[in-house]
Amino acid sequence: MTPPFSRRELLQRTGMGMGALGMSPFLSSLNAGDRSLNPLAPGKTHFAPKAKRVIHIFANGGPSQVDSFDYKPELEKYHGKEVPGGGLRTERKTGTLMKSPFNFSQHGKSGLWASDLFPKVAAMADDLCVINSMYANVPNHEPSLMLMNTGAERVNLVRPSMGSWVTYGLGTENENLPGFVSLCPGGVPIVETQNWRSAFLPGAYQGAHVDTKNTLISKLIPDIRNQRMPTEIQRKQLDLVQEMNRQDIGNAPVDPDMEARMHSLELAYKMQIEATDAFNVDREPQHIRDLYGDTLHGRQMLIARRLVERGTRFVQVWHGAGQPWDSHAEIAKNHGRLGAEADQPIAALLMDLKQRGLLEDTLVIWGGEFGRTPTVELPTPGSNAADTKLGRDHNHHGFTMWMAGGGAKGGFQYGQTDEFGFKAVENPMHVHDLHATILHLLGFDHEKLTYRYAGRDFRLTDVHGEVFHDLIA
Amino acid sequence: MTATKASILITFLVSLATSGAVFCADPPPTFEPAQIEFFEKEIRPILADNCLDCHSGTKAKVGLQLDHREGWISGSDYRKVIQLDKPAESILVKAIKHSGEKGILSMPEKGDKLADADIEKITQWITMGLPWPEYEDSENIDPSEHWSFQPVKKPPLPEDAGHPIDYFLKEAKKKVGVVSADKADRKTLYRRAHFDLLGLPPKFDEAEKFIADSRPDQEAWPALIDQLLTSPHYGERWARQWMDIARYSDTKGYEGAGRERRFVYSYAYRNWLIKSLNDDLPYDKFLLYQLAAEQLVDWNSPEKTHLAALGFLSLSKNGKTELVIDDRIDTTFRGMMALTVSCARCHDHKFDPISTSEYYGLYGVFMNSFKEERPEVGEPKMGPEWDKYLKDRAAQQKLIDDFLAPKFAKLRKEDPKLTDDRALLTSKLSRADRRELTKKQGVYDKFVADAKMDPDKAIILVDTEKPRAQRIFIRGAPGRQGDEAPRRFLTFGKEVDPVAFTKGSGRLELAQQIVTPDNPLTARNIVNRVWMWHFGEGIVRTIDDFGIQGELPDHPELLDFLATWFVENGWSIKELHRLILTSETWQQTSVNTAEEKNMFVDPENRLLWKYNKRRLDLEQMRDGILDVTGTLSEEMYGRTVKILEPPYSNRRSVYAFIDRQNLNPIFRNFDFSNPQETTAKRPSTTIPMQALFTMNSKFMQDRATELAKKGVTQKDPIQLYHRAVFAKEPTENDRLLADSFFTSVESEMKEYAKRQTNTAWSYGYGEHDEKSEKVSFTPYPLWTGTQWQIEKETPIKNNPLSYLYARAGATHPGHTSKESSIYQWQAPSDLRVRIAGIIERNAVGKGNGVKVKVITNGGKLLFDKVMDPAKKAIPVTVDAFDIAKNDLIYFIIDPHENNSAFDSVTWSPQVIDASGKIPKWGLSDSFSGPATPATPHSAYVHALLNTNRFLFIE
Repeated sequence: MTPPFSRRELLQRTGMGMGALGMSPFLSSLNAGDRSLNPLAPGKTHFAPKAKRVIHIFANGGPSQVDSFDYKPELEKYHGKEVPGGGLRTERKTGTLMKSPFNFSQHGKSGLWASDLFPKVAAMADDLCVINSMYANVPNHEPSLMLMNTGAERVNLVRPSMGSWVTYGLGTENENLPGFVSLCPGGVPIVETQNWRSAFLPGAYQGAHVDTKNTLISKLIPDIRNQRMPTEIQRKQLDLVQEMNRQDIGNAPVDPDMEARMHSLELAYKMQIEATDAFNVDREPQHIRDLYGDTLHGRQMLIARRLVERGTRFVQVWHGAGQPWDSHAEIAKNHGRLGAEADQPIAALLMDLKQRGLLEDTLVIWGGEFGRTPTVELPTPGSNAADTKLGRDHNHHGFTMWMAGGGAKGGFQYGQTDEFGFKAVENPMHVHDLHATILHLLGFDHEKLTYRYAGRDFRLTDVHGEVFHDLIA
Repeated sequence: MTATKASILITFLVSLATSGAVFCADPPPTFEPAQIEFFEKEIRPILADNCLDCHSGTKAKVGLQLDHREGWISGSDYRKVIQLDKPAESILVKAIKHSGEKGILSMPEKGDKLADADIEKITQWITMGLPWPEYEDSENIDPSEHWSFQPVKKPPLPEDAGHPIDYFLKEAKKKVGVVSADKADRKTLYRRAHFDLLGLPPKFDEAEKFIADSRPDQEAWPALIDQLLTSPHYGERWARQWMDIARYSDTKGYEGAGRERRFVYSYAYRNWLIKSLNDDLPYDKFLLYQLAAEQLVDWNSPEKTHLAALGFLSLSKNGKTELVIDDRIDTTFRGMMALTVSCARCHDHKFDPISTSEYYGLYGVFMNSFKEERPEVGEPKMGPEWDKYLKDRAAQQKLIDDFLAPKFAKLRKEDPKLTDDRALLTSKLSRADRRELTKKQGVYDKFVADAKMDPDKAIILVDTEKPRAQRIFIRGAPGRQGDEAPRRFLTFGKEVDPVAFTKGSGRLELAQQIVTPDNPLTARNIVNRVWMWHFGEGIVRTIDDFGIQGELPDHPELLDFLATWFVENGWSIKELHRLILTSETWQQTSVNTAEEKNMFVDPENRLLWKYNKRRLDLEQMRDGILDVTGTLSEEMYGRTVKILEPPYSNRRSVYAFIDRQNLNPIFRNFDFSNPQETTAKRPSTTIPMQALFTMNSKFMQDRATELAKKGVTQKDPIQLYHRAVFAKEPTENDRLLADSFFTSVESEMKEYAKRQTNTAWSYGYGEHDEKSEKVSFTPYPLWTGTQWQIEKETPIKNNPLSYLYARAGATHPGHTSKESSIYQWQAPSDLRVRIAGIIERNAVGKGNGVKVKVITNGGKLLFDKVMDPAKKAIPVTVDAFDIAKNDLIYFIIDPHENNSAFDSVTWSPQVIDASGKIPKWGLSDSFSGPATPATPHSAYVHALLNTNRFLFIE
């Protein structure tokens, strides 16, 4: 008895299927030839996308929702008092409720609430889609970073990062630039390069880490320049290589791999110029540089814009190495400083994208791996006894993220935490749901953006995730 | 697609399929049409309205899927929910009846109770045997009948078959009418064989000798293969292939701050692989040792070196126990049997006949052999250096012991029943003490890892004395335990008694079950992988999945022939290479004259009608470049080295330090395996990031320069270069191209070189003699790739000069004023400049500060200040002044009062053109090693290394 062929087998056997990359079925619908030769060739979405590219601003360490975008007047009333009914489980011990040292007010036509921690971002309120009801699973940095970045919170369960998934799905619009770039000044966040790794996806989809503390372009991207010969001579050298390649091929039939390599030499040659240009903010007119501000964060936000403008698919912008937003002590001082660093550059990015018509199809996401407690953190013997005053602990039960552009509903506030901002109680949105929604905005059914590996079809949202259509314009 | 095309294709496909394993579907229960109608009309609507919101698909609550018949039968994660013989006793029926029995929830949980009539209908339907339309049962093939679970049978081979590989493929080719390519010439094959077996390029002289060998191919060729297989480099190439399977890494994975991530002795496993492959250790033993060596070899005899084989298991990713064990199960079964057993961790395997119970049976094996030991397997060391190390190590250990002793004493005093067991006592320490201990242990571990002195050790696993029974973790959660899972081998869904493991953890028995010739997967797996390593694709293309979701073998008879042949030939990998490399199939050219026609029928070359051209992988490329430029180290074995960062070791890539957590992105840019998990097949991508490395990296250019140094003095350098890089003579065309290249770049490059040697900054040391107002300046002699210094090793005690270094923006002076650290800047033209910058001392409040001076070669003191040790930073600025072309400015860091303790400083002065027309000269921006501009020769060699001719195997 002969079994009937499944469509999958048929596709695979006729070469229309998985191609050289083991592509999942959805990718088989595009020209497998192109994709297998150039893994970064533009991919095809499942349906019309609202967003074509993503800038993910990562306030790593955990920014406090009740000091930024989640206004809780009850905190004033209960300042210094116990949480009625008791607080929730957090990493360390916390004490009484603590009001925000920042002042909240309403902004824009939409009247969104925001504190003066982010005055300039708040001025863009009508473009923000603020989600006050985010939640994650545990109050620890490592797993929560992994959850936010890869959808799998166990640090040792290495899964591809969101940027890798998106680049795998969409390729890049500009072959002369990396498709996925992770800007992080001064080093790496905790859990390090795992935050942007491609895991079992091909290396072509890994994030290129750029330490934006460097100002010298040759230090931003390794080997971006030949330090020993000028470009004119390099061109002649390349011409020699390509001529030898052509002569060797002679009249033989076209070999796609060899052709691809010849093509990649030319791409790399152009990348030297184009990538250099993308990272060179000095090329911006003075008024744009002033808009962002002449600071580390201003510069890296401007680089982010230059990258997406040139076709990079996914840019992650980290606040800094380690976990800068982790204000266990002195929330007023520490958050105040961080906000001052980030506010103008972020607002400038939104404004600049908007004035260029890029915000429409660029999804900007802001947030940390979780939020902070509305209660004050208590000293833990042997741990942080010395430095604990007026800080807040980690809080995964409820926190805030916002999106802007790329099909997210502007001037929109979604979900609620409880009266103190501790726990998401109305329309709670898990990180998996956020991922599903982001992929949806990019034109993907998160259940179908899969990659066959080790006998299984893997996806960013594993077996979870729901698209929250309310957030979509 | 035209009709003819399609029909040819279908014929081809069917022929491939029919030659594959034959499925014999277990007949599904048949139901009367009336019963089906009853289901459709009466039952399905009830289910849809009341049950399926929660109980369908992959997110079904408690794992109970009521959207297909199989789901009703298999029940929830915890138990069966129906009894076909006694429907009324079924838990599900009791649940919908709201019986209120203990442990049975009332269903539906959210909606109203079902009408009695509906409950009756469901009961009736269960009595019928759950009639369900057949087409909806997705899997009605009996998985135990799947091809790969059937015993390997040696297919018959006629006496006049010739080479068996060619025989089996010839049959398949004949059926669809594809034509084989011609045999490749000796030159091509020689290069191919070198890269294939040794991972190294051929040498010109040896290639010529082989080409001129007057013996016929039938004699010369096997002789060459024998010769290559005896090369020690063979093991270095093929160990790396296995290391992909073994997710080899020199680090454990992510660890919190203070903990040492390095395994330290991981390299012993790598060395064992190299040696075992060179010795052609029979493959069954090769596997046995990797799974249970500690039970097979005498620990006190020379065979103790085999203990290192256990690195296969022990070098796993760190983390929670259940994930470490899962990684070991996954690596073992995907790597050795091409089976995705790991899928059964949370639920029965969705496709293959592997139950959760079987998974946890295997889990029990690894759980009961989780304990690690580190016996020495290397040569004991002796000598004064070793003695000194022992002393230092003991001192490090003492720091820990001294910390623990009083705490332990106190604990024992409080509870005299406590034994001397260190682990037990440690567990009783306070949290703060344990944290402190972790920190101290981290320091000790780092000391040992950095010292690289201990003799080789094997990281092995040992069985627990009294094995514990293992229970199923429901949905993979250790907190939710189900039935006991006896330790036993897989049955592949067959109705046979499973082989129970009775000795210790059962790990040795497990290993034996894997290597028994009756195991249907083990031999097929390895021959398929060796095939892939030779041809680029496997006979089964889903290399690590021979399960139901995997592909069928393209050539099942060939696969089975190779599997049986391999076992008959003593599980010898080297014999398998011989068999494959002597086939016409392997010896074909990579271009076929009938290409167009063949492409039409078999575009993926599944019938091997030509050799698959391949790009050199990362290791072949890097080792090849080192080798052809004459810089490859011949040293074998030993500890790991860093290969992609300065100073760029010249050892073979197999010795590279692999950091599981932060692998240098260049590795993955070149499709290197993912060291987190077992890798079956590396992806094959072409991206510009690869070209950036080959065009611009220091590594590539340094190697090119090495070879160019040899060629430049030769009468015929072009010949030398081509012989070295391609093992071929240059053609006339090559010479023409070379000539025109040299002509076109010669003068330009000379100009460029001149500009390069005149960089503004130089780095050195010396003294400012205050009497003569002269500065003596000696440039550093040594560049490490990141910094300038004097001695190879820094710092060396009692050698004042050894502390001196300059790296981008940071420096440390020597002990006295005579060894002040000096940056020198030379004016490129007559200029008016000012100076800016801040100097920072790293150790605020310590030492006696440094003396900072800025002075011209004319003796004009521009800045002179002693930096207060309490200060973190002071600005060093000088207002605008004139300077003549070629005049010098010295930036001096004097240790001050001849005391250089805590004197490392960060200082990156900037010389700024006062007119603002010329960009500023910032030290850190232009900091570099010795100027080494490319020359026409180095650029030419560098070009050759970038050609497809070099980077592809044809």
